[in-house]
Amino acid sequence: MRNWLVGLLIVGFVSVLGCQPQDKKNTSTTQTTQKELKVAVAAPYTGGAAAFGEMIRRGAELKEKEINEAGGINGMKLTLLFEDDAGKGSEASLVAERIANNPQILAVVGHFNSDCSLAGQEIYDRAGIVELSPGSTAVEVCEGSPWTFRNLYHDGFQGKFIAHYLDNVLTGIESVAVFFDNDAYGRGLRNAFVAEAEKIGLTLVASEAYERDSTNFKAQLTSIKAKNPDAIFISGLYTEASLIVKQGREAGITAQFFGADGVDSPDFLTIAGSAAEGTYLTTPFTFGAGGAEAQQMAADFETLHGVAPDTWAALTYDAVGMIKEALEKTYNAEASIEDNRKAIREHLASLDTPEKGYEGITGLTYFDIKGDTVNKPAYVKIVKDGQFVAAEKQLSELK
Amino acid sequence: MAQLLEQFINGLVLGGIYALIAVGYTMVYGIIQLINFAHGEIFMFGAYLALMLITVFNIPFWIALPASMLLCALLGMLIDLVAYRPLRDAPRLSALITAIGISLVLQNLARMIWSARPRLFPTETLPAFLVSEVNMQTGEILNAIPLPGGGILPYRDVFILLLAVVLMIGLNRLIYLTKIGKAMRACAQNRVASNLMGIKTNQVIAVTFAIGSALGAIAGIMVGLSENITPTMGYYKGVAAFAAAVLGGIGNITGAMLGGIIIGLAEVFGAGYISSGYRLAIAYIIMIAVIVIRPSGLFGKSTGTRA
Repeated sequence: MRNWLVGLLIVGFVSVLGCQPQDKKNTSTTQTTQKELKVAVAAPYTGGAAAFGEMIRRGAELKEKEINEAGGINGMKLTLLFEDDAGKGSEASLVAERIANNPQILAVVGHFNSDCSLAGQEIYDRAGIVELSPGSTAVEVCEGSPWTFRNLYHDGFQGKFIAHYLDNVLTGIESVAVFFDNDAYGRGLRNAFVAEAEKIGLTLVASEAYERDSTNFKAQLTSIKAKNPDAIFISGLYTEASLIVKQGREAGITAQFFGADGVDSPDFLTIAGSAAEGTYLTTPFTFGAGGAEAQQMAADFETLHGVAPDTWAALTYDAVGMIKEALEKTYNAEASIEDNRKAIREHLASLDTPEKGYEGITGLTYFDIKGDTVNKPAYVKIVKDGQFVAAEKQLSELK
Repeated sequence: MAQLLEQFINGLVLGGIYALIAVGYTMVYGIIQLINFAHGEIFMFGAYLALMLITVFNIPFWIALPASMLLCALLGMLIDLVAYRPLRDAPRLSALITAIGISLVLQNLARMIWSARPRLFPTETLPAFLVSEVNMQTGEILNAIPLPGGGILPYRDVFILLLAVVLMIGLNRLIYLTKIGKAMRACAQNRVASNLMGIKTNQVIAVTFAIGSALGAIAGIMVGLSENITPTMGYYKGVAAFAAAVLGGIGNITGAMLGGIIIGLAEVFGAGYISSGYRLAIAYIIMIAVIVIRPSGLFGKSTGTRA
């Protein structure tokens, strides 16, 4: 009787687990009738940063659909392969190896987390394949490899921007505390912020670190509260930031919370709830600042997915568009995969002046010698009545 | 000084939660010498089941709390029945590896059902006194007791501490004053002899799993009140609680309670005064230091054959 029960359970599990790979095989074999151009979209589809990955996937899917409905790329179909790096550098290395060794993948849109982009950088560099990130802002991401690009600002600029905003735009902020994620993104952004804050005369009263996936911040928050800062800058991602804000307000902290683009996710609002109210954050793009094409994209996105797009969906939408343009201009079916991958890089590297830049919904994108985008501004958002809205005062003159 | 007091309370609250989980590890070890690695996952299921009862079935918090405890008690008994009972007389290593397997199955099951997105109890579904928040205009804090020197003590923390103390006293009374408690102690001493004396050992073991799992479930819900609920929460909290059980002397319930408090305080003081990167490391250093001096833990008996 008991053995029978155990046997049944095992059979049940095996059949549940066995189902999924089969499904995938079936779908991929039915689509090979038309010539496909394959591009990988690598992002955190699971794990603590999964909300970002979800928006990246949706943004990419919308662009893929639009491209293919408009006749594809010179008559060929664009197929995106979604590769999950779980937001972890160790996982990203494996994903990058898999992508680099797949002779059908022409380019990579991703990764999202700076740790992941950095883990992939060396592998993509060796294999000679473009890594175009729609989200990694750590300064090092575009250093040391000619194959890495990004279509948003980097943290050297963002950290400086936040320090100036706190000092010049907000009133009554003299002392600040920094609470940072102990990874490439959190540390890099913190360093940029602290350097500028000290230069312009803000007093840094505390600098506390936390580890990714922590959920209890009371010990560090109690230490920060004892220093009584006017503002607390959270240099990290929304998962932890939402709990920091929530536990901070519970512990009686009244300081102004300020986050960066890592906090820019609707999940920040759902987890932090009413504690999120009044939190400022920087972001590389807001739909409010976009033109008619951005509004059109937002409407199409809602029709397709049933939710409003966020910043990362928009940047991914543009990144896929840039790869599409590169393929359109350079893809040669006769040439080897190495040459085709190289041609994409050459095309992106040639977009080095405003005139040659790519006009997307998030603005004009062109690259400097490192592959960085230096012209795009930062926007400031504030949480008001449970929504992200553009802050009343923006800081546009800082470049 | 105010900071010290507040950190101390933070540590006690965390320690109380660890103690509730650690008791589950230690009870099962005491009776069948198995380190039940799936216990952390039961803790996680406790939080998710309560969340589901509240958000999907609109059941009030005060009913969802015992309901989730009951469901987790059943889950603990089911795991024992399906995974551990067939291996009762097999080498101990087989059962240990099975426990790790069950832990992975449950963690991935949670990921499949509820996805990896972190969740929280919606504030409006909780009893009002459990939600403390600062009034941004006046700096006044709702549902909290002001402490001397400017610190605060949220009612929620008082509630968690009281609940932990009441449950611990209750458990202690159960084990020392009731018939089933006596049977549990007998089984822990010698299972074969207990069986010969007419104790239905399999039933006693099932009850042990049920009690440990119910306490784990309530700890999961307490964590869900201020931290988030994720499929991996059982791993992170489970590792610390396991250290607490070992520190106190695995198999000894009083030891697990005290071990939980020590680990909780060590983590909070480590993170608050040294560096958060070392919070678990500090807990483990304390555990190792205790084990080096007293190999069977603070309250463990050295019997030679166990541990």
